[in-house]
Amino acid sequence: MRMLSKWSIMIWMLVLPVMLCLTGCKEERGPELVMATDATFPPYEYFSGEEIVGIDVDVVAEIARRNGMSSRVENMKFESVIAAVQSGKVSLAAAGITVSADREQQVNFTRPYARAMQVVIVPQGADIESAAHLSGRSIGVQSGTTGDLYVAEHIGEPERFANGALAVAALVAGKVDAVVLDNLPAEKHVARNPKLRILPEPLTAEEYAIAVNKNHPQLLSMLNATLEAMEQDGTLARIAESYLNRQDAEVADEEATSTGLVASFYANFVKNSRWKYLAEGLVVTIEISAAAALIGIILGSLIGIIRSTADQTGRYRVLDLLCRLYLTVVRGTPVVVQLLIIYFVIFGSVEVSKVLVAIVAFGLNSAAYVAEIIRSGIMAVDKGQMEAGRSLGLGYGYTMRSIIMPQAFKNVLPALGNEFIVLLKETSICGYIALVDLTKGGDIILSQTYDAFLPLLAVALIYLSMVVVLSHLLKKLEKRLQKNER
Amino acid sequence: MNDNPIIELRDLVKDFAGHRVINGVSLAVNQGEVVFLVGPSGAGKSTVLRCMNFLEIPDGGQVLFHGAEPEHTEKALNAYRMRVGMVFQHFNLFPHLNIVQNITLAPVKAGIMTLPEAEARAKQLLERIGLADKAEAYPSQLSGGQKQRVAIVRALAMEPEVLLFDEPTSALDPEMVGEVQSLMRDLAEDGMTMIVVSHDVGFACELADRIIFLEQGRVLENDTPAELRASANERIKEFLFVRHIS
Repeated sequence: MRMLSKWSIMIWMLVLPVMLCLTGCKEERGPELVMATDATFPPYEYFSGEEIVGIDVDVVAEIARRNGMSSRVENMKFESVIAAVQSGKVSLAAAGITVSADREQQVNFTRPYARAMQVVIVPQGADIESAAHLSGRSIGVQSGTTGDLYVAEHIGEPERFANGALAVAALVAGKVDAVVLDNLPAEKHVARNPKLRILPEPLTAEEYAIAVNKNHPQLLSMLNATLEAMEQDGTLARIAESYLNRQDAEVADEEATSTGLVASFYANFVKNSRWKYLAEGLVVTIEISAAAALIGIILGSLIGIIRSTADQTGRYRVLDLLCRLYLTVVRGTPVVVQLLIIYFVIFGSVEVSKVLVAIVAFGLNSAAYVAEIIRSGIMAVDKGQMEAGRSLGLGYGYTMRSIIMPQAFKNVLPALGNEFIVLLKETSICGYIALVDLTKGGDIILSQTYDAFLPLLAVALIYLSMVVVLSHLLKKLEKRLQKNER
Repeated sequence: MNDNPIIELRDLVKDFAGHRVINGVSLAVNQGEVVFLVGPSGAGKSTVLRCMNFLEIPDGGQVLFHGAEPEHTEKALNAYRMRVGMVFQHFNLFPHLNIVQNITLAPVKAGIMTLPEAEARAKQLLERIGLADKAEAYPSQLSGGQKQRVAIVRALAMEPEVLLFDEPTSALDPEMVGEVQSLMRDLAEDGMTMIVVSHDVGFACELADRIIFLEQGRVLENDTPAELRASANERIKEFLFVRHIS
């Protein structure tokens, strides 16, 4: 968190003007409970077809109903749900969150609504019989969960996966020796995978509660009152019960992992229209990449021109300094961190479409790389070209625009093409802000079918064909530009 | 010397990285005159020429055009450069534009001519230098001599009062020098005011009204070709001798 706040100061300095005009459109929250969760944690929250269902979802919906409110689910990475509560992106987080002292530093917790245990899943016939046998083994966990914390503290560094389903898929594939998960999700996973079993002895026992922002004590007391009532009239137990016995659409895709390729293909793509995750994700990926590339090329060219003008003529010193600061910050930090900062910090209290957030983040990121590419292109144009333009009485700006830039652009077309290919693939981290892009689409299928092979292969093939098409178009453009000068 | 020179330098000074390369050069060029700047390498010939077009900004002294120094603003310098054209050693044609576009770009942008007018003028000029068939070609399809002649035509299209030549034949293969020199001869006959930096003393003696001999950033001699040949200065004698046999 310390790092985050340092970053936020830097970013704030850069985007203050943007913020000033955005605060005007800050949205008033209606009587709606927006719930942050990570729908990869059955039976607490998971995808049933298109819909996110689960114990947490039903509990929050019931709380909303009893208080005359509506509820809505905001799906994101588990690591992000606490931050989403803190920044006010959502009203609360219900994601099978175990109460811990560290987390209580950041958010308030309601009274517990469920009790869970961390259990150990191992393959049938493995030589791990109890927790004592775990030391020295590779153990898969869901990153940021109490299982993760427990294993790290008491056993050794775990293998951290983005969600429990991935960890279980890794176990099935023999990548890890055991997986530590909450008991209910673990039972679901094992029910779907006859090759796995749960050790009789749990690792720990713990309690789940809902996280709310520390600045909203009235929301906390409302939740507590309603939860207490729900516990006393047996509603909580009923909800949990209903999921323990539920064998709904999402379950039992043994075809996916066990039998032949055709059945596996059917389970991964055809059944429940799962191909739609990929199709819709693909649209999002293309939208974000195309718009970000446009921002990148416009803003990047502008910065590139300012930088090389400053280098060559000594003009725009202050602007040049700002551009250099921008390049240093953007190129010096990972794009995933930038994406998270823009989502949680800069647009933290503003309701904007996540696609827009991603476009802004990737556009600003790409601009920095494009700027340096364009600058190198400008520098590579013979100095005599500028002199010839100037000697004819043309101004600096006009010479730059009509003589230098066309040549510079042609010089750097291969490098620009490369940048856009990288950009296209970089958008695969959109899942961090709960955007279902192509990669996340594949991820969702995997979390439902436990088959890593086909969904990932499909995702890879789609990216590959996009890159092949893009490269081909760039090559054609390059040839057309070159024809003139042969 | 005439009383109304087109271009006059007074005590021109230029430093590069603390090193004084032009050390008080004064000279004047009259309407219709052809003046050559010669001298050993590093004498500052090109720098003097580039200062006349403000591609280098002088560190001291004055560059006068019709008796007045142009203001050092972008706008005033652009207007000045339209009237004082320049031809470079390496031609500096625009490789992404074809020959006609190379010639018409500046006059159209400056508003001197409309595009059709500029194109007609370009064709006419290309006709004159025998390159009408290259109108649609790109610079890379031309020989060095052809490129330099197009570059001269490009400068002429602005209808300047003075043309500056910075070693116009130095980058050419020997067999192409002739065609460029012959075009320069034609221009001189038409009365164009020309200032030429050149290593080619023979050509200078043939074409120049006056030859200015520079050494170490100073004017050593400013004479007609005949006077220069008769000069008693040892450095000049030595220079002319070496040039003629090389």
